[in-house]
Amino acid sequence: MTLPAATPTPPTAADRALLGFANSAELAARDLYAVAAELSAFNAEEQTMLVGFHDHHLAAGQALAGLVGKDASNVREDAVYNAFRGKVAGTDKSAIFDALRELENTLVSTHLSLVGVLEGTEGSALVASILSIQARHAAALALLDGRTITDALTNEAAPLAPEATS
Amino acid sequence: MNRYSRRQMLRFGGVGAAGLVLAACGKQAGVEESKNITAVGVVPESEGLPNAEVNDIVLLRTAASLEYNAIETYEAAIGLGVFTGSFAAAGDIAKRLRDDHRGHAEAINGLVTKLGGKPFTCGNPRLSEIYISPALGLITDKANETPALDVVVLAHALENLAAQTYQSVVTMLSDKALRQAAMTIGQEEARHAAILAQALNPGLAGVLPSVDEATGKPNVATVPGAFGPLTPIPVTLGPVNPDGSRTSLNLETPSLNSLAYDYVTCA
Repeated sequence: MTLPAATPTPPTAADRALLGFANSAELAARDLYAVAAELSAFNAEEQTMLVGFHDHHLAAGQALAGLVGKDASNVREDAVYNAFRGKVAGTDKSAIFDALRELENTLVSTHLSLVGVLEGTEGSALVASILSIQARHAAALALLDGRTITDALTNEAAPLAPEATS
Repeated sequence: MNRYSRRQMLRFGGVGAAGLVLAACGKQAGVEESKNITAVGVVPESEGLPNAEVNDIVLLRTAASLEYNAIETYEAAIGLGVFTGSFAAAGDIAKRLRDDHRGHAEAINGLVTKLGGKPFTCGNPRLSEIYISPALGLITDKANETPALDVVVLAHALENLAAQTYQSVVTMLSDKALRQAAMTIGQEEARHAAILAQALNPGLAGVLPSVDEATGKPNVATVPGAFGPLTPIPVTLGPVNPDGSRTSLNLETPSLNSLAYDYVTCA
């Protein structure tokens, strides 16, 4: 007796298109954290955390690109970046944390929707491991902002649709 | 000085071994042949495990069993009455997370039923035996000076275990919709783990991985890395042993010997 699907299955052509979108969305998040980390609203310790989250999104984007292969754009999704860029600004730390939490929750919802359609388990496994961490990002941002446990646990963000943003 | 040479010893040894082999092979007069000939006493017929298939139903029943492990652990923790004083808030968190696990168990068992399986409505027997019972035993040991803290440590480990389990079954579930359903709950378990990590190591310093400079051991991190880990989860609990150490358990996601197969039932 063995566990099923011991050998992960590679992405299909349709999977690669979806993973390519996820790659671009992750790079948009990377750039938004880069902007946040430069804001004067944050002290050195807060900047360290923001840079850490930036690095996580960069790593996620790179891993997704690895599965997509030569067709990976490795360019940020401007629609995602522009949707959040205006909120990641100014000196209201709480508002910026809220925006970043919304960004994380949006990515979690997006990745969840991808797990439900990806055929190859290599892709779904990678996306699952990424969204598990981004759920932690969202919870951490809620708690550090003094929000309730319910805020840390709740995700009402709608998933991004590849066709709607590209 | 040895009384026998090496050559003599080998010769004697060879003769002895040959005699034993002959004795084992030979029939003894008046002794009824038995299939238990090689054993002392009577050995009962061995019963093999049923031939079970690892399918989506089994994987989901296993996930449900972990939900019940969590529910039962939170119930036990709340029943200990340790959530007082500075740990009062942890008691409220425990109740909230227990209720979430009840919802998760109901949702997962709903999927099991939909697939034609039988819901699993108790803690995973194997995980209870090897992880949870020993851990609760250590926590409630009279010599343990930090039962409330240890309860939170155990809960944090169990939440990580649940998150990892859902993540690990993504590659095994055949139905994509079930993978999504699993991770919908799995990301909530990850959030639970993050909340408890902040309870154990609060504030900005506890968010990213760090090392305790005094012990050289890793501190609890709210976000342990860029990707959800699938590694054993160490948990240190209970009273201080005579050598100054404390007991550690390594929690691992369910495998072939701990899945909730069709034939596994709640006692």
